[in-house]
Amino acid sequence: MRTAARTVFLAGMALALAGCASLGPKPWEKDLMARHEMLVDPYPLQTAAEDHVYFSKEASSGGRGFAGGGCGCN
Amino acid sequence: MQAAPETEASRRITRLGPDYHVSFHAMATPCEVRVETSDAALAERIGIAVEAEARRIELKFSRYRVDSVVGRINAAGHLGLVVDEETSSLLECARQCFDASDGMFDITSGVLRRAWHFDGSDRLPGAQRILDLLPLVGWPKVSWKPPELKLPPGMEIDLGGLAKEYAVDRALAEALAIAPLPMLVNFGGDLRVSGPRSGGIPWNVAIESVEKSGGMAGMLELREGALATSGDARRFLLRDGVRYSHILNPRTGWPVKDAPRSVTIAAYSCVEAGITATLAMLKGRRAEAFLKREGIRAWCIR
Amino acid sequence: MQLKKRRRGNVRKSLARISAGLLAAALPPLAGQAAAQSYYDDASGTRNNNFGPGFTYSQLDAALLVYQEAGGRVGAIEPTANLSMHAADGRQLSIGGVADSVSGATPNGAVPSNLPQNFVTPIKAQGSSASVTSASGGSTIIKLPPTPGQLATAALGRQYTVPANTLPMDKGFHDHRAALNGAWAQPLGGITEIGVGAGYSRESDYQSITANTHLSQNFNANNTTMSLSLNSEFDSSFPFGGIPTPLSVMNAQWKTQSTRDKTQLGFVLGLTQVMTRSWLTQFNYAFDQQSGYQNDPYRIVSVVDPASGVPTQSLYENRPQSRQSNSFYWDNKLDLGPTVTDLSLRYFTDSWGIKSVTADLAERLNLGSAFYVEPSARYYHQSAANFFHSYLVGGQALPAYATSDSRLGSFTGTTFGAKLGWIVSKRSEFYVKGEYYAQSGNSHPAGAIGQLKQQDLFPKTSAAIAFIGYSWDFH
Repeated sequence: MRTAARTVFLAGMALALAGCASLGPKPWEKDLMARHEMLVDPYPLQTAAEDHVYFSKEASSGGRGFAGGGCGCN
Repeated sequence: MQAAPETEASRRITRLGPDYHVSFHAMATPCEVRVETSDAALAERIGIAVEAEARRIELKFSRYRVDSVVGRINAAGHLGLVVDEETSSLLECARQCFDASDGMFDITSGVLRRAWHFDGSDRLPGAQRILDLLPLVGWPKVSWKPPELKLPPGMEIDLGGLAKEYAVDRALAEALAIAPLPMLVNFGGDLRVSGPRSGGIPWNVAIESVEKSGGMAGMLELREGALATSGDARRFLLRDGVRYSHILNPRTGWPVKDAPRSVTIAAYSCVEAGITATLAMLKGRRAEAFLKREGIRAWCIR
Repeated sequence: MQLKKRRRGNVRKSLARISAGLLAAALPPLAGQAAAQSYYDDASGTRNNNFGPGFTYSQLDAALLVYQEAGGRVGAIEPTANLSMHAADGRQLSIGGVADSVSGATPNGAVPSNLPQNFVTPIKAQGSSASVTSASGGSTIIKLPPTPGQLATAALGRQYTVPANTLPMDKGFHDHRAALNGAWAQPLGGITEIGVGAGYSRESDYQSITANTHLSQNFNANNTTMSLSLNSEFDSSFPFGGIPTPLSVMNAQWKTQSTRDKTQLGFVLGLTQVMTRSWLTQFNYAFDQQSGYQNDPYRIVSVVDPASGVPTQSLYENRPQSRQSNSFYWDNKLDLGPTVTDLSLRYFTDSWGIKSVTADLAERLNLGSAFYVEPSARYYHQSAANFFHSYLVGGQALPAYATSDSRLGSFTGTTFGAKLGWIVSKRSEFYVKGEYYAQSGNSHPAGAIGQLKQQDLFPKTSAAIAFIGYSWDFH
């Protein structure tokens, strides 16, 4: 059961990666992507502050970036 | 997969998000017009008008065609040719650019290309070959008494540094006369927009990387006005580690030293952006300093 | 030869005049000096920190975080600033700093009781009884009998009393933190970006050193980015009173061992893909390995009477020295005209038995070109660590590891927030964000003993968060 699920997952990944080769807009279609709010992390200080709050109040951290907190608040 | 060869019948119309996108091939470069409309028929009419204007200007001012105005001026030489009003205004513009640039912007410098072939190789011409050609360069040597132009024997003019940008400005005006919609006209990287997109959203334009074709070096937001790029992505010579750009100094006959690899200029009109880009390249090492001093919005790639 | 000195902008003006002259002859609808002038005078527009390639620019970010938990619990003020400099050839240098001031009451880990409870803890400054007064959060300085085998100077302790039916909290908690970080990144050969970074953070009882390196590569006409970052962190904990012996009875004795370390190593493998003109997606897998001292040196676990449920002892907590975690993070950004949606999902699992899911949604709505609002909501749920116990039962064998830290228990956290942004100019932006965060858990777990059935065993946290930020790009 577990093996089957894993195979399906891997097949999905392979499909997704193969698709990447031709995936995505042409350079002249990147007008929206160039907007500041479409950056992956447009407000890094805000992200860092929120991650810091959740790091000190919850057991999970990381994912977006490194899980370390750099402080003793957890 | 190989791209189909571009022909005159290459005009394509496609829907791209909120726009219709009409592309075709003219003036030895890919051309496009983007129109923000949902009316396909209207977009096609605009595309046809834009393409017609591009082809008209290409036919009229190409230096490769003996039947173009430029071809006829060069063929007439010292006999002179009386030119029409449009050509006259372009020549007058070229004269003023020569004056404003202290002689660096010179439409007679094209003969130097008999010696220089910017094919990416290391084949430099001999110094004597260039010295032989230099007497054939220099706008003050021509007789320009509007509307008549006379060229001394052996001299030629080339409006290639103006015609494409002029075509962009002209084609946009033609298109806007059909319908005042938000649109962008782009002929091989020289482009102009009619104004912002609906809702005040700017157009975004990618600057192509000089390193690898298709790569992107940056994005610009354009609300109004024009952009033009002067660069040597593929046109250069490389010898002993020195890169010779295709921008020739009309006074020495040699390529400008230490020019940026590409200069993109934002200005009100495409003609202005194009002249400014050429002038910045001619400044060589001091291109950025010149642009900064003049307060020009520009993007240089070294 | 150029004899006259050119004044700023003269060439530009003459080129503008020449072009306008040419175009005026040919095309009336576009020409005119007036239109051209308005083009050059126009300074409006949305924020655009893209100076383009070939231009050097810097970005200065400054922000202030104010955090306050309800019920007189932890509050923090955290100013932060960051300067990043971008060179023409893609090199970037950034330096930043954070200061942090935290104070307030914090749950000490004990369960509430139907009787008043006394707790004794080492005072924060060894031998300096004068500077710690009894006014500090209702604590009393007491003199302790010297204990054989311990430091001779350990004669003072701090005692505080918690009333009946009240969550035990230590109100003497306050600390300052300062942190510095720096990073460098540049393109290298065919590699899109390679970078290194380091950070240092210091509190009165904790120190953290971090170092990282990353590599990213763009493919497919810059529509695909793959990245790998390697991270390391080296922490030292040197609590007031020294390192308590795990699962020993809480007292005010100074311990001989004063410092314990923790090492963390991890990597993040990332794939960012521009899917369509308006859809950006990112998938990250992160693995982390922590080893060393991970206990909270101040936190205790109650041992309760097996019949009455009344706490009889407080033991210092103990956590495993090793922890491995995996997280899967998926972020999507969708630009739908006037709105931008950001939806991220995360699944986290670790060797302590914690599994968590996180969903974070923010919807940005541009109001004209100068303002925007962004409401946001976040859902978080975690299961408990397998050594989490709200309390231990007297007379039963002690487990190897035990903590009553609610952050390692099972709970749900929800956040609601709203952000308001003002694009002051193309180069600067000001924003404020307010958020409300609340945790909820099982206050009355099945199997509670005696008086514990009447107590709230989940020390729920709720907090208001305010964030003010300013960002400025300049040449």
